[in-house]
Amino acid sequence: MNLLTLVVFLPLAGAIAASFFPAAERGQHRALALVVSLATFLLSLGLWFGFSSASGAPEFQFEVNVPWIRTLGIGYHVGLDGVALLLVMLTTALTPIVVLSAWNAVQERVKEFMISMLVLETAMIGTFAALDLVLFYVFWEGVLIPMYLLIGIWGSDNRLYATVKFFLYTFVASVLMLVAIIYVGGQAGGTFDYVQIRQSLHVSGSAQRWLFLAFAVAFAVKVPMFPFHTWLPDAHTEAPTAGSVILAGVLLKMGTFGFFRYAMPLFPEAALHYRSAIAALALVGIVYGALMCFVQKDMKRLVAYSSVSHLGFVMLGLMALTAEGLTGGVYQMLNHGVSTGALFLMVGILYERRHTRLISEYGGIARQVPWIAATFVIVTLSSIGLPGTNGFVGEFLILSGTWVGRLARAPWFSAVAATGVILGAVYMLVLVERVFFGPMNNPKNAKLPDLSLREWVVLAPLLILIGVMGLVPQPFLDPAKPAVDRLLARFAAAEQRLREQDPARPPTTGSQPPGFAATGAQSPALAGRD
Amino acid sequence: MNLPAGDVAALLPIGILMLGGLVLLMTEVFLTSGRRGYQAGLTVTVAALAAIAAVAVPPAGRIFGGQAVVDAFSIFVTVTVCGGLALSALVGAPWLHARGAERGEFYALLLFAACGMCLLGSAADLLVAFIGIEVMSLSTYALAAWMRRGRKPAEAAFKYFLLGAFSSALFIYGAALVYGATGSTLFSSIGRASGPLLTTGLGLVGAGLAFKIAAVPFHLWTPDVYEGAPTPVTAFMAAGVKTAAFAVLTRLLVVVFAAAGLGSGTFVKVVAVLALLTMLFGNLLALPQRSVKRMLAYSSIAHAGYLLVGIVSAGAAGAREGALSSVLFYLAAYTATVIGAFAVVGALERRAAPGEEPSDAWDLTRLAGLARRRPGLAFAMAVFMISLAGVPPSAGFIAKLLVFKAAISAQAYGLAVVGVLTSALGAYYYLRVVVYMYMRAPEAGDEPVLSPALTVALTASALTVVVLGVGPESVAALARAASTMAP
Repeated sequence: MNLLTLVVFLPLAGAIAASFFPAAERGQHRALALVVSLATFLLSLGLWFGFSSASGAPEFQFEVNVPWIRTLGIGYHVGLDGVALLLVMLTTALTPIVVLSAWNAVQERVKEFMISMLVLETAMIGTFAALDLVLFYVFWEGVLIPMYLLIGIWGSDNRLYATVKFFLYTFVASVLMLVAIIYVGGQAGGTFDYVQIRQSLHVSGSAQRWLFLAFAVAFAVKVPMFPFHTWLPDAHTEAPTAGSVILAGVLLKMGTFGFFRYAMPLFPEAALHYRSAIAALALVGIVYGALMCFVQKDMKRLVAYSSVSHLGFVMLGLMALTAEGLTGGVYQMLNHGVSTGALFLMVGILYERRHTRLISEYGGIARQVPWIAATFVIVTLSSIGLPGTNGFVGEFLILSGTWVGRLARAPWFSAVAATGVILGAVYMLVLVERVFFGPMNNPKNAKLPDLSLREWVVLAPLLILIGVMGLVPQPFLDPAKPAVDRLLARFAAAEQRLREQDPARPPTTGSQPPGFAATGAQSPALAGRD
Repeated sequence: MNLPAGDVAALLPIGILMLGGLVLLMTEVFLTSGRRGYQAGLTVTVAALAAIAAVAVPPAGRIFGGQAVVDAFSIFVTVTVCGGLALSALVGAPWLHARGAERGEFYALLLFAACGMCLLGSAADLLVAFIGIEVMSLSTYALAAWMRRGRKPAEAAFKYFLLGAFSSALFIYGAALVYGATGSTLFSSIGRASGPLLTTGLGLVGAGLAFKIAAVPFHLWTPDVYEGAPTPVTAFMAAGVKTAAFAVLTRLLVVVFAAAGLGSGTFVKVVAVLALLTMLFGNLLALPQRSVKRMLAYSSIAHAGYLLVGIVSAGAAGAREGALSSVLFYLAAYTATVIGAFAVVGALERRAAPGEEPSDAWDLTRLAGLARRRPGLAFAMAVFMISLAGVPPSAGFIAKLLVFKAAISAQAYGLAVVGVLTSALGAYYYLRVVVYMYMRAPEAGDEPVLSPALTVALTASALTVVVLGVGPESVAALARAASTMAP
């Protein structure tokens, strides 16, 4: 049996198995979910080590292509390129961590919780693995239901509002993508196969723009890009810790991945047309998200707004259309999953102790819980992109990639985005200061216990990843390179077509000529790339 | 007129259903009330036999001088109707038992109504269609009045009867005008003539059928009747009457759309407007409903809108096959889903003391905390709601995918966009049911009426919904084969 298929459906099989256990056996449900998600992770290691990033390697590996609904031209076609591989690894690594983090936090309806979690994992992996547009849509929407239940059942006080808002925002945005998918399938001769469509799709300029918009809005809501972000703070704040971690760690990446895999390569001319607007919105998101963080009283809400800011960086990197920018965007997707996931876990750890997320309830607890404080600081430093942590590599690549890119007024984009980095450092350090340092005024914090062994096990992998990805980024950059190069080649071809229509058109993709590039230093991580 | 034996044999499924109804009426005379548990089982058996007969007897093509057709299309409709009939009978048994209203005539009427429905699937003549409509409708009028002592059921039955009679009158008057214009009542004769008389006649026939499928603005009876009728009957009406009425409408409109003399695309445009209004108003009016039963009534209007989108798409010659198969698949998927949903509603319905009519019998709060009290029931209902909302992986998603695909290949982009947006609107009120079941605390109340028969029905319909959502290939292929109607 195909390894990728096994990785996709093993969690679902676990969920089905769990449904036969009696609900009262909560320990069994926890153990089963942990074992299944760990087994999925171990299997996915086979993907990681089996994947070849060599230049001659096939674009999609571990591929399976069998007809699913023959009458409609829909196939079960899955396969991984480097970017999808990285995101699948992120998913399979985060899920066992999340299951373990919910060990004690979820006491009610454990069975349903673990089943939702496992179904969610299958849907997420499937979204990244799918190479058929309808299959992709099925997994994409399949994510909604378990997430909807996770927020709505195990969330905090205002959960019903948050979960319905989450569902409706995402669903409304996605249905238009469904129309676009059907149209694209019709234009491509009745097949929904991604690889075939990418080769054979020829749609006129205006149709292409509409299609791009239909895809882009669905993805932009998921990212979320300003001004489609309003569901995110609510969903994050109300979700249980496990839900927040998955939401930030994986679900948001589905949006950026959608841009990278579908919206941009399928409609490159339209993407070029709207690129400046999207980059500008990304910029607004970066600054707006950062500014919103300053006024938050709730830690989770703060981290949620910081996600808006960080995902803005990812989108900016993608829209730069340079090797550095795209690579940085992909890398930052992973970073955000690791660091923001870890931040939500930390907030959850504090919440489990005090049952409040208000910043003002804490203060000066570093003395009482030194290990929590230390890990929180490390995660914060990663989140604000301190050199030596993973966040630095991603942000640096994005900023330099934007700088050397041919986006109109690119240095300005880079400069404004850099203020987002500074603002990010400020609000995160202020948060650390207000929660962990200063005098301890609240007597309720006097007896807080420090990290338990289970919590150590939950956090350790993420802390290790923060360090490894910051110091040795190459193994994580290598798989992305072929996919990035292919996307750039596709845009170069699209540009060529546009220039045939309009010879006066200036080049807009790729990096600036070498003379200019002297101002945009090449990242050491990329030194061996070209 | 002598009846050729082969033509009669082609209607074997209808004969089986009729015979089953008669047997039930006869046994009813000789049995005491304690021994009535077998009736639902007998009905299911008869439905299964009829479905097997429909598949086993080779399609005869045109019979009775072209007044009826037995082709893959009619066979698909017959099997869907029989499936709906069997599920409704299983749902009906515990519901009636709990209310002491279990009598053989109920099942006999179900079977007679199913006869009319199957006939409608085969009708290729306005008069045969009229006979089918009347056989179906008279039975459902009586079924709607089954619990006649209450105020709501009586109102529902009376309203249904009056408006149904009105729509029948429109239909038959239209048929008369068509006969005046063409000299024949065969569908196939429509293509041979033109002129205002024919257009008016077809308009009236169409209006009569629009009543039956509950298209806006002919939908006004639906919420009251669906709410007032006994829940199993509502399920049967939502599934069976809709399937049959859409079958005959499809067969008629395919001819009308192809008729050159009727002005290019006039009827396509009219149906497109109907589809638009039906999707929009069905969904908008369902939004504020607190009664789940009433919400499902409006939702059934909305689904008629999506089905009409499929029919509109059949107006484009290139998209016809896909459009017709999408309508058939949709009908099959909707039958399984809606009967399941009404079955859950029926099980949870508050049982009134004689003379009392609680206004909250189907209120959303009846579902509160169902996931804790009855996880199986709640899960089944969640599956049905997800399917009605068109979220993958469910039968409802594939059905909508097929319909919108047909619309897009017919270049009806506006309808497709309105369709997906209104279905997103629908997600709101379907999800509200899930919210109540899974995210609210249970309220004290009487226990749901469960029985083995209901469990079988719920399992069967939930499985159908999931199987059609995950592996729709076989049914989609059957629908595709059935979309090429016999000439």
